[in-house]
Amino acid sequence: MAKSFAVIGLGDFGMNVARALSRKGFEVLVIDTDETKIAEISEEVSQGLVMDATNERALKEAGIQDVDVAIVSVGTDEAILITQLLKELGVSRVVVRATSPLQGKILTRIGADRVVFPEREMAERLAQSLSSPKIFDYIELSPEYGVVEIVAPKKLTGKSLKESGLRKNYGVTVMAIRRKYPVMSKKGTPDFKEEAIISPGADDEIQEGDILVLLGKYKDLSRIGKL
Amino acid sequence: MKLNHLLEVGQFYLLNKKYSLAIDKFKQALRLNPGSALLFFYLGLAYEGGGHPEEAKEMYRKALLIDPEYEEAKRRLHRL
Repeated sequence: MAKSFAVIGLGDFGMNVARALSRKGFEVLVIDTDETKIAEISEEVSQGLVMDATNERALKEAGIQDVDVAIVSVGTDEAILITQLLKELGVSRVVVRATSPLQGKILTRIGADRVVFPEREMAERLAQSLSSPKIFDYIELSPEYGVVEIVAPKKLTGKSLKESGLRKNYGVTVMAIRRKYPVMSKKGTPDFKEEAIISPGADDEIQEGDILVLLGKYKDLSRIGKL
Repeated sequence: MKLNHLLEVGQFYLLNKKYSLAIDKFKQALRLNPGSALLFFYLGLAYEGGGHPEEAKEMYRKALLIDPEYEEAKRRLHRL
């Protein structure tokens, strides 16, 4: 029999996990207190329930004890309580999303079978892609957002910022363009003069060799790094 | 003569932001004179301008191996 899953908490992470599992053909039960979120995904999953997962009786009535894996993706305090309840109810495998190592430690102690750090994993993946020679530097603004300096991908050169689709297709903002102009130095040898175009306009063109300073989510910035 | 010609053409391309063409010319020139710090430096500039910082660094380092006092190469390497 196919494995069955419960996803508790429908933030970005919960939604994506539920959709991915459902697409793979698994039975997926989703639980959230927000009915609009349940409505958003209800047609894609086996069952959607608007309920408070910190309520033990409600969890029992939902048949949570029968799922093979429960994935918890809610705020810190609730995650601890829900994890504890799920283990007490006999859910064999509980996977919990954590945002900090301390939270991860607590969740493991109270019985979470696996703790995942999606934001951190995303940042690590980005850091790995930073070893790409095309990315110069990055600044972490939050677990989700950062600023990177990246050599303009060849695919984008010759296009205006608007045409590049960086904002529309990738959701990132071009904060500045660092551009080099070849010049003759006083010694009579070629050299570069550098300038920064701060807050470039939609019509500004991306040129070969430009360094783009981009603000966005790690996952989106990583996608651009792969262009 | 051929070397000077390649150097001049390479510089022309470099100054006109035709970096791939400049790279090609400087590589050809380096085949004729593989011990030239200047050519490695120019090749580094062409790589840098074309958005290939790792290759540029490598070329500046090669220029500095040949001429450790090459100030421009030091400066550009430091900036990357």
